[in-house]
Amino acid sequence: MRSLGLNNHKPYLLVLPALIFFSLFVLYGIGTVFAESLNLSLNTGSSIVKYYIELAEKPGFWSGLILSLQVSAAATLLSIIIGVYLARQFYRRVPDSIWHALAWLPMLIPHFAAGYLAVLLLSQSGWFSGLLAQVTLIQETSRFPVLVNDKNGLGIIVTYLWKEIPFVLLMSMPVYRRMDWRYEDVVRTLGGGQWQVFKTVEWPALLPVLVETGIILFAFIFSAFELPYLLGVTYPKMISVMAYQWFYEGSWSNRPLAMALMTVSTVMVLIVAVVLLGLIQGKRYRMMRGR
Amino acid sequence: MFVSPARPEQQEKPILTNGIKIFVLLFFCLPFAILLLQSFSAGWQWPRLLPGTFSWRAWQSLSREPRMIPAISITLLIGLAVSLINLILGIPAGKGLAHYRFRGKSLVEAVFLLPLLIPTLAVVMGIHIFMIRVGLTNTVWGVILVHVIPTLPYTIRIFRHAFENLGSKWEEQAATLGASQLTIYRTVWLPLLIPSIHSALMLSFVISLSQYALTAIIGGGNVVTLAMVYFPYFQSSNRSVLACFTVIFALLPLSFYLLMYSLYKLFIRGPGHYRGC
Repeated sequence: MRSLGLNNHKPYLLVLPALIFFSLFVLYGIGTVFAESLNLSLNTGSSIVKYYIELAEKPGFWSGLILSLQVSAAATLLSIIIGVYLARQFYRRVPDSIWHALAWLPMLIPHFAAGYLAVLLLSQSGWFSGLLAQVTLIQETSRFPVLVNDKNGLGIIVTYLWKEIPFVLLMSMPVYRRMDWRYEDVVRTLGGGQWQVFKTVEWPALLPVLVETGIILFAFIFSAFELPYLLGVTYPKMISVMAYQWFYEGSWSNRPLAMALMTVSTVMVLIVAVVLLGLIQGKRYRMMRGR
Repeated sequence: MFVSPARPEQQEKPILTNGIKIFVLLFFCLPFAILLLQSFSAGWQWPRLLPGTFSWRAWQSLSREPRMIPAISITLLIGLAVSLINLILGIPAGKGLAHYRFRGKSLVEAVFLLPLLIPTLAVVMGIHIFMIRVGLTNTVWGVILVHVIPTLPYTIRIFRHAFENLGSKWEEQAATLGASQLTIYRTVWLPLLIPSIHSALMLSFVISLSQYALTAIIGGGNVVTLAMVYFPYFQSSNRSVLACFTVIFALLPLSFYLLMYSLYKLFIRGPGHYRGC
């Protein structure tokens, strides 16, 4: 790492193109969304947060918001738990890279294509339901639980797991590869078991990466449109689907509502991110100095 | 950074090891197998575990879809352009973050992280009017630009890590020997970065392939990528035809990979066996 004088403009030139791109699109974009979500026509008696009030009174808003939160929280937490367990076992027991490559296969296909796999395997007339019938656990398709296009978003969660566990693997495998395993010897010498090793050696190294991964996954799942649109139901609708339909429909009258909804979801994602980052700040600092 | 001398010793627990392998096969691989079988099946009656008869019928009926070939071409074109823009913007940005300390760096890092946090759907809704005004809606270029938004943060991350791991010694050595900036990029960084370039290209391509809402809003139905054709099929079409369509979505990244591989074999000469370390 070079520390350079103030008159050196090289690093600025390097980051500038990407910075301009993001400012032009992302910062301008989100700013416009916020501006358009406000009611700036100064009619008598109309509130500046008129659209937010309308939004709160819309049928389906609250149930959609809760569904979105549930699906993103469940999918994020489960992908991280399963992904880390798999990374740990991969590193310790299955070092051959062919198995790692197999586990990364889902990253190759789009989310909506993965959604079709969920239909093929998990729908009431799908492959698993057939398997259950073969072992005479069920007699007809209607006895199989509704897992795809269900009210609780189970099909959506399972499909996200299938897509995101490989992502968690991708993020956490490098941590395992560069871990200092002499600490494990210390724990074992002092009589600690598997759990102690995980808690005191692996967890502190994993935590910053997992928090980052978790924020990325939560933000993505909370606002992604494709899977909830294909695997969801008409009521309750996840908020991204709601916003997209308000925005995209022929008349533009619901656009301010879509903007208000997108502002709400952006703020929620940012709150989650700030809280999680805040939780690890102290720890991360200690770790960085320890390296 | 400390590199561990040895992997920790394990007590043998073959049941668990096999359990992990079976989980990988059942959870990650089985769906692909069922998908392939479905694409070649002619009538697969519940609750049979294998299709009764195999045929090319579904593939033939998908090949009669007139939008298929144009959609694949435009999807590949957009994916290629998106990946290249990612490299052009992402490599310098990654290098700037990895090798320099400068005033305002944490602000720059925050801006580079934001696109992963702020919903891209929101961003696209926000720039829609602007895109209409500058004439980029309903155009391939407009779609390419919005596909760069969800991909570039990952690309910058990939190259930042790569440059951090490579360090700046290679560059200093080349500079000491009198190499120009351009020569350094071409003969030092490019060969060393090839594994990262691979990852970045693949990731950008797959993410670009996966966009429906962004393409629909900015492309306005005029830019018909494969995803735009796929969505109406999802509800209406028969299972086997949709299975073929889904197989194509898995084959495209693979063919893109092969295309990129042969391209750089053609254009990058010199020592190609370096591995970053």
